[in-house]
Amino acid sequence: MTRYLYLYLAFFLLTTSCRKFLNVQPQQQVDASVAITDAVSAEAAVNGLYNRLGSDGYYGSNFISLSYLMGGDIQWTGSQSAPSQIAARALTADNSNIASAWMAIYRTILSANYIIDIVPRLTDPLLTEAKKNQYQGEAYFIRALAYFDLARAWGGVQLITSPTYSKTDQEGIRRSSLAETYAQVLSDLDKAEALLPATVNRNKATQKTVWALKARFYLYQQDWVKAESYASKIIDDAANYKLLKPYNAFFANNVTATAESVFELAYSTSFKNGHYNWWLPPALGGRREWAPNNNLVTLLNDPAIGGNRNSLIAQTAPPGNLWYGKLYYRNPTGTDPAYLMRVAELYLIRSEARVKQTKLTQALTDLNAVRDRAGLSPATAATPEAILLAIENERRFEFAFEADRWFNLVRTGRVSSVLNISDPNKFVFPIPISEIIADKYLDPNLGY
Amino acid sequence: MNRLYPKGFNLLLFLLVSHMLVAQTTISGTVLSDEQTPLEGVTIQVKGQAIQTLTNSKGGFTVTVPVLPVLLLISHTGYQKGEFNITTITPSSFRLIRNERNLDEVVVTGYSTQNKKLIAGSIQTINSQAFRDVPASGFNQLLQGKATGVQVNANSGVPGGGITFRIRGNNSINASVDPLYIIDGVFISNTDPIQTGMGQQQGSNPIADINPSDIENITILKDANATAIYGSLGANGVVIVTTKRGRLNSRAKVSLNGYHGWSTATKKFKVASGPETALLTNESRINTVKDNPALPPPSLIAEPDSQPTFDRISDLFRTAHTSNYEVAVQGGTDKSAYYAGFGYIKQEGIVRPSNFERYSGRLNYDNYLNQKVKIGTSVNISRTWRNVSSNDNNPQGVINSAIFVRSYLPVFNSDGTYARYGSFDNHLALINYLGNNAVGWRTIGNVYGEYAILPQLKLRTSWSLDNASEYENNFTSSLLAAGVASNGSAASYETKNLVLTNEQVLTFIQSFGEDGKHSINALVGNTINTVLSQSTSATGTGFASNDLTAVSVASVRSGSSAESRSKLLSVFAKASYTYNNRYTLDASFRADGSSKFGENHRWGYFPSGGFTWRADQEDFIQSLNLFNELRFRTSIGLSGNQNGIGPYAAQGLWQSGSNYLDQPGIAPSQLANPDLTWETTRQSDLGTEFSILNSRLFVSVDYYNKYTYDLLLNVPVPNRTGFATYLQNYGAVSNKGFELAIRSTNINTRTFKWTTEFNISQNTNRIEKLASDITLGASGRNISILRQGYAVNSFQLYKQLYVDPQTGNAVYEDLTKEGNITAADRQIVGNALPRYTGGFTNSFSYKGFDLNIFFYFQQGNKIMNMNDFFLVHGNTQANIGFVPRQLERWQKPGDITDIPRVTTSNRNIEANNSAANNYGGNVANLSSRYLENGSFIRLRTLSLSYTLPSSIINKLKFNNIRAYIQGTNLITITKYGGPDPEVSSQSGNQNTAGYDWATVPQPKTIQIGLNLVF
Repeated sequence: MTRYLYLYLAFFLLTTSCRKFLNVQPQQQVDASVAITDAVSAEAAVNGLYNRLGSDGYYGSNFISLSYLMGGDIQWTGSQSAPSQIAARALTADNSNIASAWMAIYRTILSANYIIDIVPRLTDPLLTEAKKNQYQGEAYFIRALAYFDLARAWGGVQLITSPTYSKTDQEGIRRSSLAETYAQVLSDLDKAEALLPATVNRNKATQKTVWALKARFYLYQQDWVKAESYASKIIDDAANYKLLKPYNAFFANNVTATAESVFELAYSTSFKNGHYNWWLPPALGGRREWAPNNNLVTLLNDPAIGGNRNSLIAQTAPPGNLWYGKLYYRNPTGTDPAYLMRVAELYLIRSEARVKQTKLTQALTDLNAVRDRAGLSPATAATPEAILLAIENERRFEFAFEADRWFNLVRTGRVSSVLNISDPNKFVFPIPISEIIADKYLDPNLGY
Repeated sequence: MNRLYPKGFNLLLFLLVSHMLVAQTTISGTVLSDEQTPLEGVTIQVKGQAIQTLTNSKGGFTVTVPVLPVLLLISHTGYQKGEFNITTITPSSFRLIRNERNLDEVVVTGYSTQNKKLIAGSIQTINSQAFRDVPASGFNQLLQGKATGVQVNANSGVPGGGITFRIRGNNSINASVDPLYIIDGVFISNTDPIQTGMGQQQGSNPIADINPSDIENITILKDANATAIYGSLGANGVVIVTTKRGRLNSRAKVSLNGYHGWSTATKKFKVASGPETALLTNESRINTVKDNPALPPPSLIAEPDSQPTFDRISDLFRTAHTSNYEVAVQGGTDKSAYYAGFGYIKQEGIVRPSNFERYSGRLNYDNYLNQKVKIGTSVNISRTWRNVSSNDNNPQGVINSAIFVRSYLPVFNSDGTYARYGSFDNHLALINYLGNNAVGWRTIGNVYGEYAILPQLKLRTSWSLDNASEYENNFTSSLLAAGVASNGSAASYETKNLVLTNEQVLTFIQSFGEDGKHSINALVGNTINTVLSQSTSATGTGFASNDLTAVSVASVRSGSSAESRSKLLSVFAKASYTYNNRYTLDASFRADGSSKFGENHRWGYFPSGGFTWRADQEDFIQSLNLFNELRFRTSIGLSGNQNGIGPYAAQGLWQSGSNYLDQPGIAPSQLANPDLTWETTRQSDLGTEFSILNSRLFVSVDYYNKYTYDLLLNVPVPNRTGFATYLQNYGAVSNKGFELAIRSTNINTRTFKWTTEFNISQNTNRIEKLASDITLGASGRNISILRQGYAVNSFQLYKQLYVDPQTGNAVYEDLTKEGNITAADRQIVGNALPRYTGGFTNSFSYKGFDLNIFFYFQQGNKIMNMNDFFLVHGNTQANIGFVPRQLERWQKPGDITDIPRVTTSNRNIEANNSAANNYGGNVANLSSRYLENGSFIRLRTLSLSYTLPSSIINKLKFNNIRAYIQGTNLITITKYGGPDPEVSSQSGNQNTAGYDWATVPQPKTIQIGLNLVF
């Protein structure tokens, strides 16, 4: 009997002592320790970074929708409470769309931090110095954009500039002031500007993309001189960047990466723009849960106001007669680009910067360039206030379905009079309540 | 079979002796079971004499006795002994009553069989007789109300659809709460393979791949003493299924089984008529302008009374047919035994267009190669087919498209095309064109060998496989909303789940000492287990016509694949020692190593111990003359859980597929947790069983206390880290409960028998420790909440106190006492877990007739009625109609109702008693008025059967003929206002139970059936 026992035990040990048996590695994911090791994986990480920037929570739809829903011209026709709260400008700290934008932005920052941390240390000979600089520059640029968006939406935030390797890595960091957050944006933009080549690439960051964002950044900082000069750097590059006629030439007929675009994110069937089926009516296979409200429809259809920008909207056949937006329409492929910066914005930035420097004629020239493209007669405004108001209205229709209206009104301080918001605490979004609970170092925004 | 030899020898001796004497009287007869089937191999003894014989395959016997009258003693395993006084030589039939108490039987436990009297664990065996003929596709659904401590609910009335099955409550939050299913020693995958989007529902019940008719019995292991031997797989209980096997030396028996059933809904959906919808809409528009005089005058629907009503509900429902046919053969020679079965079932859904079909085949074979070596196999092969239809939160599901659309809107456009409204599809288009087909193939097989090294020492090795594959082909034609823009879309999925298990068990059973006073039952063993999941999918859009439906002919195509595997190594040992048949002490131990955890925390250790005292063996109990049986059991132990978390959960990961510009991209997806380890459940159990009144009343009571700690929990981490959650061992959940089972034989005469069975189980669940609240459910509305100090599956809503009779506005409880209604005023207002569940069965048999009446009940659970949530909206939803409950709205001062005044005003949304919060505003319809009492009691089955008398059966050369008529879900008593209280629409996630959301209600079925055995 003992003989059999030994035999059994031997078999037993043979099978169980196999430590190897229990080491199973995934095939579709890669362990974090070996994620970025060479030229190929570094490039993949940079692609992943753009993917994060264009994810549904961020520029893939949600973040953009926060701006246009808060802007008062877009209605939410669905039944969910989070977007309807936003459209009613009655935000609470538990709004799930706000929380998912916050999350998506910090996820983007994490990817950027990894690249900034690891790429300089890689020793793969296939990874040239130029490539290294480009990857880091792209990461710095996207991190700058992420902190810029956090700052304009929530105010000063926690500044995370190194990757998270373990759960306790970012402990103890508190919110920076708004000025410190913008300083971080500028510092990242400066680094990106130095590292990136001055080429033209409408889907990825280059030095020119940095200039465009710097123009917007200085506009928010009310540094009119710099805003004007950086805007000019792009506008003057007429060989590469120009206003296309008519208005819909930058999006209709499935075009992408037109000369109108300074920076747009590209999508494919395997990486769909989250917007693609939310705007179209059911008759065209969409859900039409975001739709222009009656006021916007009227204004866009007014030839003296909307001009040929009425091509942004259309109406379904009777008896439905529903108005819907057409900027995002590539269903089911989902290949609508996300428009982050268009040359029209740079004209309007420069126009405003010039008004502030009382260069009214030049300011009107810029404004009228945009109006002319929309098929409108030149503006008749004469005083600085009137021109500023004309710029504000131009932006309203020019970027009706993009991330502009709300942030622009907050920036100019016009939000209280235009949208009837008296409490200045409500000019920023609430810090998500789930974050306040999860992070003892994070203070809420006042008033929420 | 060894026992047969002495018996045969005795018989031979007896025959010789009787020949030497002068033979006087020969008596003959037939022995039948209570179901009137002949019993073979029954021992017939003549009292006071050394005369005995066995019955033949027809149950017949003859004995020769010296003189009449004599007393015949008839005994058979599993049946009560019978004593019959024989006065004449007329052949007569004798009926043996099945031993209801089962106390003398051995039961299957983890890796062994043990005498039930001596087991310390809480184990319950359900014989397949208890659930035969019920038209449900999965055996787990059939256990509803049959076993204590087990909560079983069908999530919907979809045939072959998902089941909620919990043994002694929810042990976990993030890891699995489903039990381990073992069929003939094979660990079964319970992963739902359906990839097609079904809304938030579990798409299928993987257990429905098994034909319940092949099952002999089901054993449920509930406490730690019973489950710890399954270590990391056992924390949620274990369900051990034993299928039918042939018996040695038995004649081939062929049984044919068939039934046909007709099902309708227990209750159908109801929506407001066209005129009612128009009336409510106009009233709301008028009220809204009254609330805000700055608005332009309301535009009203003209002539609301003459609005048409289009009945969409009737299109949904049908009288659904169920057909079931089975044939099985079983028998054995002196060396081998076999069982072979084949079954076919086709079940239509009561809501079109879902269907379920299953072909199943089983072969069980055992062979004694010689006295020491036995080999055998159990193989189940089945093919299922489902027509899958999406429900609940999908606005383009067929039920949504029928009930949500305003009833005055026509079904067809004037040009005859299907009309669509809002985000809803046309229900008829879906019924006619929805083409989602899922074909599953399931092979569950096992090969074993047993070697008796010594009579008391046996080695068993077993090699098992569970191979599940699901092949789905979906085509969304351009006639459906989802296919309009894409010109038709198609998807094809191939999903495989493979479980490989190898185990070795060495068993030692020995009694020693004077009269075998000491007995030992011990085993050691190991298992090696691999789980492999693979899936490949292809999708395509753009089809030249609706007759071309394959992905291959789509103009735009894309594909993807996924794979994951996990491995588990285990060693275990178990020993039980019994002294004098009275005291049993047992202990078990298991060590598990899992590939899911980090190298330093890979192994988990799960010990348990138990004690049983058979008090009825003590003289002082016997002298009471009260108890026929009396036992006390107690046990404590640990078991673990690692199911339900990802196979690479402990590793820091970057995911691929984060592509940009069609170039490959990677991005961080998971934060490493090298310390991740087992979720552990500590359970103690105290139980007693007794029978009194000559064993006619049997009572079993259990109390248990479970505490699950080191929960595998996705703990929120600050987003600044770049991650949202982090899987770590944190938190604890407890479950405590009582179980009571009573069996009573009320009347037992030769012709009439009445038995009653009653069981009730109570469970209290509580989250003992949680980092922070976790809210989820209802598509981002977060109606479900997990909060420390409360049970899982709690609902958080704004608690509506009343509707102000003066203003008609809803008044909510202001928790914060700030005088206004904000997010902080949401509170836990109920729970989806029942406090009590149970069953009540009465069986009557009179001659060949059997009447069985089975009630199931559950009490104390709440249902979130999402249909009312959406369809009682006060006109805030322009694209959605109403249910009749909206008509109960407040209309004028003095009205007392819980449905507030209809309006879409959004002024003063923070104020309590503000019109804005009636349906919109901060409350956004998240009002407790839609949370309803989900308790119910239901006549689950009522069946009447007739078995032909043996005299006729014998003439027809049959073994048994039985015909029956049965009703399922005939009566349901409930206060719940929705279609059916047995529902869980968001069952894809265990933490979002108790929603009713555009889901197929339970069917009510009448069936007729016939069993033939020859």
